[in-house]
Amino acid sequence: MSDGAGTLPRLQKQRPLPPARAWAERTVPPEGKLDRALNWAVGIARARLAAFYGLRYRAIAEHAAALAPELAGLSVEALHARLPAVTSALRRSESPPPEALAAAFALVREWSGRLLGQPHYPVQIMGAAALLDGRIAQMATGEGKTLTAALAASTAALAGIPVHVVTVNAYLAERDAETMGPLYRALGLSVGIIREKQELPERAAAYACDITYCTNKDLTFDYLRDRITLGQRASDVRLKLNELLRPSGPEPRLRLRGLHFAIVDEADSVLVDEARTPLIISAEVPSQFAPEMLTRALSVSQSLTQPRDYGIVPGERRILLHPAGLEAIEAATSADGPGWRARVTREELVRQALTALHLFHRDEHYILRDGKVVIVDEYTGRVMPDRAWSDGLHQMIEHKEGCALSAGRSTLARITYQRFFRRYRRLAGMTGTAGGIEAELWAIFRLSVARIPTHRPIRRRHLPDLVFPDTTAKWQHVTARVAALHAGGIPVLIGTRSVAAAEEASGHLGDAGLNHTLLSAAQDKAEAEIVALAGGQGRITVATNMAGRGTDIKLAPGVAERGGLHVIMIERHDARRIDDQLAGRSGRQGEPGCFQAILSLDDPLLDGRPLSRLLGRAVLATLPASLAQPMARRLLRFAQARAERLHARMRRELMNSDQSQERMLAFSGHSE
Amino acid sequence: MASLFSQSWYRVSGLKPRLRGHAQIHRQRFRGAVWYVLQDHQTGRFHRLSPAANLFLCLMDGQRSVQEIWEMVCARGDDDPPTQDETIRLLSLLHGADLLQGAFPPDFAELSERAASTARRTMMARVRNPLALRLPLFDPDRLLEALRPLYQPLFSVTGLVCWLLLVLTGITIATLHWHELIGDAANQMLTAQNLALMMVTYIVVKGLHELGHACATKAWGGEVHEVGAMLLVLIPAPYVEASAAAAFASKWQRMVVSAAGIIVELALAAIAAIVWALAEPGLARAVAFNVMVIGGVSTLLFNGNPLLRFDGYYILADWVEIPNLGARSNRYVFYWLQKHVFGIHDAESPVTAKGERGWLAGYAVASFLYRMMVSLAIAAVIATQFFIFGVALAIVAIAGILVVPLVKGVRFLLLDPKLRGRRRRALTLTGAAAGALLLLVFAMPLPYATIAQGVVWVPDRSELRARVDGVLARVAARPGEAVARGETLLQLEDPVLSARVAVLAAQLEELRQRYDAVRLTDRVQAEILNEQIGSTSQTLDSFRSRTADLTLTAGQEGRFILPEATDLVGRYVHRGDRIGYVLEAEDPVIRVVVPQADIDLVRSRPGPVAVRLADRVEEVRPGAILREVPGAQSEVPSPALTAPGGGPIPIDMSNPQKPRALQSIFIFDVQVAGGIPLDVLGERAYVRFDHGREAIGWRVLRSLRQVFLSQFRV
Repeated sequence: MSDGAGTLPRLQKQRPLPPARAWAERTVPPEGKLDRALNWAVGIARARLAAFYGLRYRAIAEHAAALAPELAGLSVEALHARLPAVTSALRRSESPPPEALAAAFALVREWSGRLLGQPHYPVQIMGAAALLDGRIAQMATGEGKTLTAALAASTAALAGIPVHVVTVNAYLAERDAETMGPLYRALGLSVGIIREKQELPERAAAYACDITYCTNKDLTFDYLRDRITLGQRASDVRLKLNELLRPSGPEPRLRLRGLHFAIVDEADSVLVDEARTPLIISAEVPSQFAPEMLTRALSVSQSLTQPRDYGIVPGERRILLHPAGLEAIEAATSADGPGWRARVTREELVRQALTALHLFHRDEHYILRDGKVVIVDEYTGRVMPDRAWSDGLHQMIEHKEGCALSAGRSTLARITYQRFFRRYRRLAGMTGTAGGIEAELWAIFRLSVARIPTHRPIRRRHLPDLVFPDTTAKWQHVTARVAALHAGGIPVLIGTRSVAAAEEASGHLGDAGLNHTLLSAAQDKAEAEIVALAGGQGRITVATNMAGRGTDIKLAPGVAERGGLHVIMIERHDARRIDDQLAGRSGRQGEPGCFQAILSLDDPLLDGRPLSRLLGRAVLATLPASLAQPMARRLLRFAQARAERLHARMRRELMNSDQSQERMLAFSGHSE
Repeated sequence: MASLFSQSWYRVSGLKPRLRGHAQIHRQRFRGAVWYVLQDHQTGRFHRLSPAANLFLCLMDGQRSVQEIWEMVCARGDDDPPTQDETIRLLSLLHGADLLQGAFPPDFAELSERAASTARRTMMARVRNPLALRLPLFDPDRLLEALRPLYQPLFSVTGLVCWLLLVLTGITIATLHWHELIGDAANQMLTAQNLALMMVTYIVVKGLHELGHACATKAWGGEVHEVGAMLLVLIPAPYVEASAAAAFASKWQRMVVSAAGIIVELALAAIAAIVWALAEPGLARAVAFNVMVIGGVSTLLFNGNPLLRFDGYYILADWVEIPNLGARSNRYVFYWLQKHVFGIHDAESPVTAKGERGWLAGYAVASFLYRMMVSLAIAAVIATQFFIFGVALAIVAIAGILVVPLVKGVRFLLLDPKLRGRRRRALTLTGAAAGALLLLVFAMPLPYATIAQGVVWVPDRSELRARVDGVLARVAARPGEAVARGETLLQLEDPVLSARVAVLAAQLEELRQRYDAVRLTDRVQAEILNEQIGSTSQTLDSFRSRTADLTLTAGQEGRFILPEATDLVGRYVHRGDRIGYVLEAEDPVIRVVVPQADIDLVRSRPGPVAVRLADRVEEVRPGAILREVPGAQSEVPSPALTAPGGGPIPIDMSNPQKPRALQSIFIFDVQVAGGIPLDVLGERAYVRFDHGREAIGWRVLRSLRQVFLSQFRV
């Protein structure tokens, strides 16, 4: 052995040893069909136990509460002196005993009470315990999820586990990190915040903190970039060896330290609603096709007629070329250059041209800004200047609009949230609404839901839904209702599905002469401020469901006596869960509130189901309201349940196709 | 409709793959188009590549990246370039076959997972088809190489001519001795000792058959690396691994390799025919006969049949130039359903060349029907011997042919993403088709009847039989007319008998007189004579009564029937011969034998009865059930109804005296309206018991239930 030492580079004393774990990540074992079926079955069984799981943490909360009086009497120094004992108890094993957890909770709670003026309620301690246990803590709106997350995050960090607190937008990440900063500092923990436009060293420093606040998008992209850097050499041992052998230089190559523990806020929307969104890192490459070819493709596609040559696949936003169309393309391009000779290429080009012409519309899917095509997000209405459509579609649309062609982009790495979050060694989440997705969360992420009871009983009233035969009637009623509430000084929040619907609502309110605030396409911070003010006396706010998430609507003085915030939903969402999110905007922390859905049979959920719509109208027109309303309500509920099932199935199929794709691409190694 | 681009392209675009050394590419033509066949010498597997895919493979040199190669292939532009997805699939296929070598480290987890899944699949294939187990024995390549000078000359035009001559000779001899041959077949084929002989002959003949494949492969430069034995339906059979022939460029060579086994067997059969014709009866002749049966008949029926996956199939597939015909024909049917029934416009067609369509569709349908039929027939035959085993076999067969595709179909209907947006249409159509089928099977009434055989029957007491031998001298009553009981009908004569009576009478007189003479003088002599008188008079009495038997009288009142009245007088009849009948009002009837399996139907669903006489099958006579013997019996009323007599009732051969049925039978007497012509008495008749109309499904269910009831003796 001694002679071998000469060949190895000498280890210098001052160089620190690499961390015990250079990169943490769970390898997701490939699932067979049987595994998958079993997981779903277990998930369905576990869904029924959500309330029970929640109550399991009551003992630990009581234990922590019992320690509170003793800690309350201690001086600051004495509290500090307690820290090492608590920390070492936590670090003694992988899963610390409940006593150690309770001691840590009590200590953090005491600091929180002294520094933030918010000692944790028992339910928040229960929530934190559920998070540390790797579950989804289902807590009603306004129960203080930020504080709960901080409790769990600091306890985990004290135990030596790097924690990512994942929020839905940068504003919330920054706000929460700053609010909780004093607490963490008191515990000797470092906090990092991931902001936009941070460079690699800064990011690496932020991720190197004990607790890192970040958005799901930033986190996933950073992970992808790291994977690109790592390439095929992503094993823990290899990284440690590299660390040892690397010529000394402070420059970190990686941003993350692996995926240890994540606490995901709004877990249902990140893990389920956005599960299918692929995150793609791409690099610029020369455009696949020359401008002349795009011109020709556009002109050929304009010569085709809809039902004969091609069709639009309903529901999939896809162009389907018919045999007649294929022949027409061949005939039209037979005289063109060699680029048109290959069947696949020319059909692809024409299909892209048709897609650009008929499926993507200016000011709906994209806008022109400074002579560039900029994508608009359909749901949030925000512009996405750094995004581009793939496979030459972006260039085709640029060409259609007469813009200068941008470079083509080729993918370097891509991942979905579904696949990304499964890789955490420990994952936990918080949400107000997890109804109906428990089985899925278990089957895909091994997360079971623990329903945490509310601190105070809920005082929100749900008025029965009202269904009108068409939008006109609906708006008449909505404006009348809003005017009445407004006159009574009650604040009203109107929630919509999309930006377009919010604008429509705003138009109707404006026509009715009602002064209101419209929330869309603004910045997160402004959104949050507007939403936070929505509880002001007599205020009228129109917002999409996505706007101002994570921000509490605090009631102005005197409003509670008038019945609290009144939330009106004017369209059903794709999932009942999201309806509940909207309802949760009112009646926080046992305050009074009111929720009502005022709907019409023109609801987008019934699009493509003309028969249901006709039936509903007939029922509303003939039967007395006492009979007709429940039937119409049920009709919409059915449509919603169908949409839920459809989306669940699509997520499942995506998962399965991801897995089979993975199997097929096994020869290419692990790129991301 | 494939898109040119793939979302996963970035995963492969930077790879620099290279084909492993043990892969070899052969150029072949299929239906006028050039294809490339990639041969993996390590596993002996083949992959068919399109020209574009081949170009892609040829450009993979370990230096160029996949992106570069793809761009090069696209830039060629003369053929359809592969889409990115197709390229990924190609690479994945190569990787799955261990043919890809790249600049990346092997992923052991993936390797072991792949090995496990391959092992699992092999295992499943065994479980699914337990009747075709393979046991590899040794590698014959070097042996065959050494023997090459012996067989190489056979694969030539001269060889073909010699073979043709030999086979023609064999056919000629077999034709000349056709009747003898058929006789041998009927007598010998299924005796116990011949079955043993046949088993041995079978193995030897099949061994030569496989040798034929091996030699043909070697003759044109292929390699044969595996010989083994497999259990085909529990019968051992040799096999050789001759897949190297798939690399041959000429389809005729490939066909000869596939046909070599049949060629060898036909030659053997021809030689055997010659031996059989020349040899004396004995072992040699028996062996020759068996070789003829195996090499001639069974080869053409099984090996030569393209609908089974034996040699004939490969010959056909090569001949029509559609590789993988069986699997692709099934895929084609599925594609057709998707496209035309479910309206999936972008379904992927397995058709790669013109003219394949008809072959694929025809083959799929024909082979499905044939395999279904053969499997069920084999299962049925085995079930009669080993019930449980046969039923298990039938279940496996039905599961393989019907249930598995059905389950797959249902899963496709309910879950497949391709049907999204069209699921309602697919479900409606399939439901309608299934409903129509069910309606046809279970609700559409079809004529339903039981056909049984019987004989035209006259009761014993109505028969008029000769009681002694004699010459028929006179017909006393008029045939066809009514006679009273005791009326004289026929008079026989026996000159010997009457002479004998006269002699005996004279002897008796003599003895009496001698007795009178010595009665008073010699008491001893008198006693002796007295005894003689007693015995002689007894003999005389018996001869006298036989003389009385020469006169036949009517045993009952009825109609006197004399079938051969015209040429009867002067004929010598033996004792017990049937001369005529005295029929009562209801005679004759048709005595019908109904097997146990049908009795319930005949009893529970009475309906019109129709009769056809074997003599005049074209005439249908209405009838009615006159009476029924209530209990089951095993005695068959007429030998004409037993299996050896040409009837439907199998009988117990161990008791030649009385025909006894193996299974219980039931007797019905059927009266035919308008009477039965008298010249058909004792003849066979076909009787149809009409049960009205019933759908087929219920009938099948009933007979299945019966099969199980009878087997389990419930």
